[in-house]
Amino acid sequence: MATTLLTVNGQKHRTDLDPSTPLLWFLRDELSLTGTKFGCGMGMCGACTVHLGGKAVRSCLTPLSAVGSRAVTTIEGLSKDCSHPVQRAWLDEDVAQCGYCQAGQIMTVAALLKTSATESQVIEGLAGNLCRCGTYVRIRKAVRKAMALSRSRT
Amino acid sequence: MTTRRGFLRVSAAVAGGLIIAVRRAKGAFEPSAFVRIDPDGTVVICSKQPEIGQGIKTALPMIVAEEMDADWSRVRVEQGDLDPKRYGGQGSGGSDNVTSEWETMREAGAMARVLLIGAAARRWSVPESECTTRDGQVSHTGTGRKLNYGDLAADAAQIKPPAGKPPLKAPADFRLIGTRARVIDAPEIATGKATYGLDVKRDDMLHAVIEKCPVFNGKVKSVDDAETRALAGVRDVIVIDGMENPTHLMPGVAVLADSTWIAMQARKKLKVTWDEGPGASESTGGLRQRAEDVSKGPGKVLAHVGDVDEAIGRAAVKLEAQYEVPFLAHACMEPVNCVADVREDRCEVWGPMQQPGSARALIARRLRIPPANITVHMTRIGGGFGRRLLSDYAVEAAVLSQKARRPVQVVWTREDDFQHDYYRPMGVHFLRAGLDSASKLIAWDHHAITTSRNAYRRDNRGPEATEIYGLYTGNGTGLKEQISSMLLPTLIPNIRARYSELKTTVPTGAWRAPSHNAHGFIIESFLDEVAHAGKRDPIDLRLEFLGSAQDFPFRSEDNPQYDPGRMKTVLELAAEKSGWGRKPPSGIARGIACHFTFGSYAAEVAEVSVDEKNRLRVHRVVVALDCGTVVNRWGVEAQAEGGVLDGLNAALFGEMTIADGRARKSTFSDYRMLRIGEAPDVEVHIVASKERPTGFGEIALPPCAGAVVNAIFAATGKRVRRLPMVTAGFTV
Repeated sequence: MATTLLTVNGQKHRTDLDPSTPLLWFLRDELSLTGTKFGCGMGMCGACTVHLGGKAVRSCLTPLSAVGSRAVTTIEGLSKDCSHPVQRAWLDEDVAQCGYCQAGQIMTVAALLKTSATESQVIEGLAGNLCRCGTYVRIRKAVRKAMALSRSRT
Repeated sequence: MTTRRGFLRVSAAVAGGLIIAVRRAKGAFEPSAFVRIDPDGTVVICSKQPEIGQGIKTALPMIVAEEMDADWSRVRVEQGDLDPKRYGGQGSGGSDNVTSEWETMREAGAMARVLLIGAAARRWSVPESECTTRDGQVSHTGTGRKLNYGDLAADAAQIKPPAGKPPLKAPADFRLIGTRARVIDAPEIATGKATYGLDVKRDDMLHAVIEKCPVFNGKVKSVDDAETRALAGVRDVIVIDGMENPTHLMPGVAVLADSTWIAMQARKKLKVTWDEGPGASESTGGLRQRAEDVSKGPGKVLAHVGDVDEAIGRAAVKLEAQYEVPFLAHACMEPVNCVADVREDRCEVWGPMQQPGSARALIARRLRIPPANITVHMTRIGGGFGRRLLSDYAVEAAVLSQKARRPVQVVWTREDDFQHDYYRPMGVHFLRAGLDSASKLIAWDHHAITTSRNAYRRDNRGPEATEIYGLYTGNGTGLKEQISSMLLPTLIPNIRARYSELKTTVPTGAWRAPSHNAHGFIIESFLDEVAHAGKRDPIDLRLEFLGSAQDFPFRSEDNPQYDPGRMKTVLELAAEKSGWGRKPPSGIARGIACHFTFGSYAAEVAEVSVDEKNRLRVHRVVVALDCGTVVNRWGVEAQAEGGVLDGLNAALFGEMTIADGRARKSTFSDYRMLRIGEAPDVEVHIVASKERPTGFGEIALPPCAGAVVNAIFAATGKRVRRLPMVTAGFTV
């Protein structure tokens, strides 16, 4: 039986699950890291977005075998105390309605904030993160706020 | 202890804490609010209603906190389990949670305040009248002494509550109500800690997915599950017989496994032979054709004032149009799921439920166990939109757990969700109107031909009962009261509303702003046609026949009162804020629409542009709302923004096509959803009001499609009469 080694939110894990198992289900069913959401299982909604080696990926389409040595960060690992600029901005703008898609939205923005992406590029980068409640108006405000907070922190 | 009328029960509970539960005098004792003050001053407020993103878990506690002058930053909110004996009715639908709980929540907070003041007055040996409250403290006016609520909780619990209702604040004294409070669970949501149905974990829990007949209402004939059972991690394959009403339980073949992923993979190995039943020939095109055939008949006349045919006959300008709205999927972001743990004759359920009481009742009926033995826990819910008013998935989990003798989590895949939904009913509507030579609207005839969701609800009313909310009728219709309260009286002198049912095998259900979501579009678009035909300003035309409060007196104590004066106010506010009547920016055209939904008024102006390649951009939507007293301004604004985007999403793309008796779309790629870059700016303006709070979760949706379609007409001269707009050749 193949064994996969992974680092999730700084912690090392070993699993004997079938290496074709999507990272999403390892996180949710094995590690009980349920902040990463199942929305479609086809990479079309973005609810399952996590960071792999710092880049935003769809964990529902990422088999365990593809993770390799790259660090996995989930919404639970973004900050210890909701202090990440994107999380703070999400609270300041009161973005969430049902909230189900928001972890994925936040993870996508958090990854893009580490790049030189402009505000409009960040919004473009969110094209694959669906929100059924229609929080897009506030997400746009929160992205602007997060970029400002992020700049003032560095 | 309880007073004779049962208003209050107070008991010292957790170590010096104070528990206050208010009971409703109406009918049986039904406590409906729950407050606890811990010795450290934390005020714990129980929210009894399901939280589907409408913000009720923030709004109801705000009302309690306001009346008790709690320090909002020290309020903690707990989700109540299903317990109608304790809390009163529980369930979220029809946008009535704030409206129906307004008094009980206020009284719960106010009684807490009375008792805390009583405790402080005794401590200080001063009259209660010299004590005031603010931010979690009682103060003595004369000496400036202060005591925290936490320090008074134990004493307050010993005081016998006064009989009768506690005094309520004057609205002018509200400090919290009307402000912008953040979603109470926002920090948990932003850190991934909020628990949705899908996040529930129980020891020894199995994960189940269910294969269902692709043809609606089909049944399992036989199953070859050998390959499925051979896979590692698969624990069982269980055939589910449906209940007589498929909204209670659909038939299918369940695969139970150690993990969700294994269950999903193993399901693909099932070989099921289906009895497809009589539904295999149903199609969207077939339904449309049948509607056109039916339209040649008279339909059932629901209301007729004046003589429509005569008036249209003599009209100077006559109009006729066919409108169509499609089946819509709910597509909640959190796929349908539920966890159940059935042991002997007991059952515990955790899940995202809009109607937890129906889950309990159906599980009791199917499993033949007493309802009192069924505990229902409501999780946070990843979107409701009406899908979770039905509780079929809770019954699925219970049926499987009973057989497996272990906790079972049922998960629907996204494809399951799209293909086995209870869709917003498809409808084809035939309208006629007549204007006299002075361009006055003198005749209106609306024949609604729809698939009825009452076919699935199966109550004892006619199929039209669920399909005509928000329809225009004349003043003084002869309709039954429960229906008439959902209709909009007008001063149009000759008016007729007719209905014909399109019988179908396609499952239908409530979808945000049921029926209003169709009529808001159809009526408001056709009115725009009438305005253009008569060369009238669309707002002036509306104001002419909307009438005033004197024209339509209050009819029933239980139903929302329709006051045309308030509709006029939102129309004028939307016009003012959008710059209606002034020239829009170059290339941009405006359209307006309004609608009355669940006691509240909304008018919207959409600004759009359409380029030479038919690419449509909706730039801005200005919303004017009147939903009475606003509890949480941020929450109402959020629902208005979301309602507009939800309405636009459906109007642009939303359509579940049916062919060969099955849903022909199953993913977010073929069932397209609005993306962030396509969302317009949404500006929300709320009418200042002292009226009782009314619905806000659904009211901004119905006018949106009409406003956009009317703006498209202003931009291009093209009239969109069939949704979604992409079928008319528009792209985004």
